[in-house]
Amino acid sequence: MSFRRRLLLLFAFSVGVSVAVVTSIVSTMTRRAFDQATDTRTAALVQQFRREFTRRGEEVSRKAETAASSPQATRMAVAAAQPIPDYSGFLDAARELAQTERLDFLEFADNRGTIISSAQWPAKFGYKEPMALWPAPTSPFLKEEETPHGAELGLFAVHALAAGDSKLSIIGGVRLDRTFLLDLDLPNDMRVMLYEKTEASDHGFSSRHLITPSDSQEDAGQLAALIESVELTGREASVITTSKAGEEMVNAFPLSGENNQLLGIFLVGSSRQIYNQLRREIRLAALIAATAGLVLAVLLSSWAAARVTRPLEQLAEAAREIAMGNWKAFVSADSRDEVGELADALNRMAGDLLEQRERLLQSERLAAWREAARRLAHELKNPLFPLQLTVENLVRARSQGPEQFEEIFAESATTLLSEINRLKNTVAHFGEFSKVPKPQLEKVRVDELLQHVASVHRAQLQQASVECRVETSGVGTMFADPDLLHRALSNLMLNAIEAMPTGGTICLKARQNSGWVELEVSDTGVGLSPSEAQNLFTPYYTSKQHGTGLGLAIVHSIITDHGGSIRVESQPARGTTFMIELPANHDAVRALPGNHA
Amino acid sequence: MACAAPVGAATRPHYGGTLRVGMREIPIALEPASLATSSSSNLSRLIFESLVLIDAQGRLQPQLATSWQAEGGKQRWRFVLRRGVFFHDGTPLDAASVVAALRSGHPEWRVQSEGTTVLIETEAPDAELPRELALPRNAVYRVGDEHPTGTGPFAIAEWVRGKRLRLTANSRYWFGRPFLDGIEIQFGLSDKDQMIAIDLARLDIAEIASENIRRATRENRIIHDSQPEELMALVFSKAPHSDEEAHVRNALRLALDTRAMNEVLLQGEGDSSSALLPNWLSGYAFLFRAPQDEGPRALAAPGKNPAPTLGLAYDSSDSLARLVAERILLNARDVGIVVELGNANSSDLTLRRIPLASPDPKLALIELARALALPRPQFADDSLGALYASEKALLESLRVIPLLHLRSAMAVGRSVRGEGMLVDGSWQLVDAWLIPEKP
Repeated sequence: MSFRRRLLLLFAFSVGVSVAVVTSIVSTMTRRAFDQATDTRTAALVQQFRREFTRRGEEVSRKAETAASSPQATRMAVAAAQPIPDYSGFLDAARELAQTERLDFLEFADNRGTIISSAQWPAKFGYKEPMALWPAPTSPFLKEEETPHGAELGLFAVHALAAGDSKLSIIGGVRLDRTFLLDLDLPNDMRVMLYEKTEASDHGFSSRHLITPSDSQEDAGQLAALIESVELTGREASVITTSKAGEEMVNAFPLSGENNQLLGIFLVGSSRQIYNQLRREIRLAALIAATAGLVLAVLLSSWAAARVTRPLEQLAEAAREIAMGNWKAFVSADSRDEVGELADALNRMAGDLLEQRERLLQSERLAAWREAARRLAHELKNPLFPLQLTVENLVRARSQGPEQFEEIFAESATTLLSEINRLKNTVAHFGEFSKVPKPQLEKVRVDELLQHVASVHRAQLQQASVECRVETSGVGTMFADPDLLHRALSNLMLNAIEAMPTGGTICLKARQNSGWVELEVSDTGVGLSPSEAQNLFTPYYTSKQHGTGLGLAIVHSIITDHGGSIRVESQPARGTTFMIELPANHDAVRALPGNHA
Repeated sequence: MACAAPVGAATRPHYGGTLRVGMREIPIALEPASLATSSSSNLSRLIFESLVLIDAQGRLQPQLATSWQAEGGKQRWRFVLRRGVFFHDGTPLDAASVVAALRSGHPEWRVQSEGTTVLIETEAPDAELPRELALPRNAVYRVGDEHPTGTGPFAIAEWVRGKRLRLTANSRYWFGRPFLDGIEIQFGLSDKDQMIAIDLARLDIAEIASENIRRATRENRIIHDSQPEELMALVFSKAPHSDEEAHVRNALRLALDTRAMNEVLLQGEGDSSSALLPNWLSGYAFLFRAPQDEGPRALAAPGKNPAPTLGLAYDSSDSLARLVAERILLNARDVGIVVELGNANSSDLTLRRIPLASPDPKLALIELARALALPRPQFADDSLGALYASEKALLESLRVIPLLHLRSAMAVGRSVRGEGMLVDGSWQLVDAWLIPEKP
C-alpha cells in the first residue's frame, strides 16, 4: 500500500473515529438530558395528578356533606332510626341528589350497611355496602364501584349522619374517567392515561379498561406488558412504545385503594419525537461533518502526501536510476527537513558511488591491461625462449661443419617457423578477441542453426565417441547474426567435446518462452568446480593447459551483443549446461546500443 | 277509581272543545293491527270498532254486530251487522267491508258475506271466536287514501308521524256524536313532561307510569287507574335444552325478589306475581307462590364454575324496565348466575311488557301466549280449572318467568269531565266533555 493511500486511510479513520466519538458523546448527553427532562416533567405531572386528586376528593367530600345535610338525607336518617324501616320511598333520592350535587356515585346506607338509595345502581336497594360498616375514612380514597354495566373506578368520600342511635352513611364519589384526565394541564408532547384495575380486568390486560383523553386506543396493546408488570410488582415501571406518531416513553404509577389494593394505574406518556428529531439532526450533522471531514481528509492527505511523498518518490526514482546504472541521477532537495537531508545524502552517495566506480573502472582497466600484458608477455615469452635458444644454436652451428650446420639450420629453421607460427597464432587470437564484429541481424530458423552446428562437428563427435541430440520442438525463428551465433555455439560444443574425453552425450535444446528464445548446450562431462563456473566468462581465464581463456569470453560477448544472457550450471562429474536467453523480437535486438542493421 | 274529586260543581255536559292527551308511546302506524300495546289500543278504540265488545265484567256486548250465533259445532259463526253505521269517509258499513277487513287480518279464516250477515268459518271449532273478534286488532276498517278509516266516535283529521294525532268527532256516529269536537294526542312525552304540561294546562289527560302512580297520588292529582293489566316478565328465547339449563332457569326464578321490585321500584302500585294472569282476572294467581315464599335461596344456587352467564335484553328507553333489569342482575348474582345486560340480538332472555289483550282471562292467556311466541294454550273445558292447568303448563315450560303486573293510570286536568278508565286500562272518552272557559 502506498504511503499516500496509507495517509489517506489514516486521515479518514481519524476523522471517522473523531466524528463517531463526538456524535456518540453528544447523543448520549442529549439522551440523558432528555430523559432527565422527561423524568422531571413526568414527576410534575404526577404531582399535578395528585393535587387534582386531592382537590377533587375535597370537592367530593364537600358534596357528600351537602347531600348529608339535604332534607332527603334527614328523612332517610329518620327512616333508618325506625324499628322497622321502610325505604321504599327513597328509590330516586340518591339519583336526584347526585344530579344536584353533580356526583357520579352516591349511596345512602344505614348502620347495618343496608343500601337505602343508590344513584349508580338504583336497583341495589336492600343490598349491603361494606364501606358503611367501617370507620369512615378521613380523606378521599380510590374505590372500585360496582355498576350495572361493570365495575368503575371512582374517587370517594364518606360522610356520616347521626340520627339517634342510628347512623346514615353517605358515600359520594366521582368517576375517575376521561374528564379527570382532560382537567390536567398537559404539555403538548405529553399525555396521560388511566388503567382501571377492577375485578373485571383481573383476567389480564384489556384495552377496554384503558381510559385515554381521546377515543384512540390503537397503541393500547403495547402497554399490556407494562401494566401487567405494575400489577405483578405493584411498583412503578416504564416502557418505550412505538406508534404512527412516533416513539413514546410511558411511565406507569400504581394507584391503590384504602386497603392498599391496586385499583388503577396512572400512565404518563412522553413523546420522544423531539428527542428522535434531535437525534436525527445530530446524526445528520455527524454525517455531514464526517463527509466534510473525509473530503478534507482526502484533500489534506493529498496535500500532505504531495509534500511528503513527492521528494520520497523523487528519491525512489533516483535510487532506481542509480540501481540501473545512471550514476548521475540527482534529487533536488529544496526542504531542510529529514527528506531534504535524505535527498542530500542520496546525492552525496550517488556522487561517491560514481567516483568510486570511476576509480574501480580505472583500476579494473589497469588490472585488465596488466593481465593482458602479463598474458601477452607470457604467451610471447614462451616462444621467445626457444627462439633465443635456436638462434644461439644457429650461431654456435656456424662454428661447426657445414653438414652439422645444415642439419642444425634445418632443424632450427623448423623450430623458428614453428615458434613464429605460435607467436602469430597468439597474436591472431588476441586480435580476434578484439575484433568480434557487431551482429548483422537477419531472420534465423533456430532448428536449422542447431542442426547445422551439430553437423559441422560430426567428425569430432564421432572421434570422441560423443552422441549429439538436437531438440528444437516448437521453436520458430529469431533475429540474430547466424555466423556469430554459429561461432558461439560451436565454441560451446567444442568445449563440451573436450569435457568428455571418454565420450558422452551433448544435447542442443531450443525453446520459445514468450518473446525470448532459450538455447541450451549440455554435456555429461567432468563438470566444473564452483570457482571455475564463477570465472568462466572472464577473459583470459582458462582451466585448460593450452587455452587462451578467450573462447568463452568471446561467446559471452556475442550473446551480450545480441541483447541476451548466458549462464552456466555445472556439477562436478555430472556435466555442465550452458543456458542462453536471446530476444526473438527484431525490435528488441535492434534497440540495443550499437545494433543498427 | 277516582283518587280525588274534581274541583268545582258538576254541570251538564257541553259540546265542543278539543281534549289534549299526552302519550309516552309513538305509534308507527294507525292500522288496528299496529295499535296493539296497552296505550295505543286506546287510540284504536277511539277510531275503530269491532263486531263485538267485551265489557268491564268480561261479558260480550254487541258493537258493529247486533247479534251472533254459532253453527256447526262452533266452527261456523254468523254475525248480523248493525244498520245505519257509516265509516268516517261516509261509506255505509256493509258485510263486504267487514269481510275484507277480517280476511286481511285472518287469512286462515273463511269469511263470507250474506246480505247484512257475515259468516266466519274456522278450521276447527272455536268457541272463543266472538271474544277474539272483540280484540282491537280485529277492528273493522277501510283502507283510506292517507289513513285507515273506521266507524268509531272519532275520525283521523291529521297525523304527523311521531309527533301528534288530531281526531275530530264523528258526527254520524251510530251511538251519537261525542261531546268533544276533537282530541289531539301528542306522542313521545315523558311522564315528567306530561305532568308539567298538566300543571300548565297544556294537556288535559296524561299517562302515568305504574312506578309514578304513588307520587302522582301524593301530589293530589286527579287520577284514574286500572287493575293490573300489563305483565312484566322475563322471556327466554328458547326452551331449555338440558336439565342443567332448566335448573339454571329455576334458580334464576327463585332468586328474583319480585316483592322488593314491587314495593320499591313500583312503590307498591303493582303486583308481584308468579302467574301470567293477574289475580283480579283469573282469581287463582295466589296459587302460584312467589319465589321468595318457596324456601331458602340456597336451593337456587347452581354453584357451577364458571358461573352460568345469561344475556338479558330490555327496552333501554323504559326506565322501569332498566331498574328491574338491574335488580335482576343483582338477584341473579346472589345465586351464582351472571346476567349481562345487552341488546336483543345477543340475548338469552328478554325483559318484556305484555299488555293483557282482553278482560276475558281465557282470551288474555291465549293472546299472552301468542305475544310470547309460546304454544297456544289448550283448554280441556270452559272451567277455571282448565284455565289454571293451561297457565301452569305455560309456566312449567320455563320459557317465561312472570315478575310484575302493572297498572295503567292517567292524570286528568281539572277542566275535564265525563272521562274514565276501565279495569283493563281502556280510556273512556266517548262521554268526556270540557268545562268551557269563562270569558
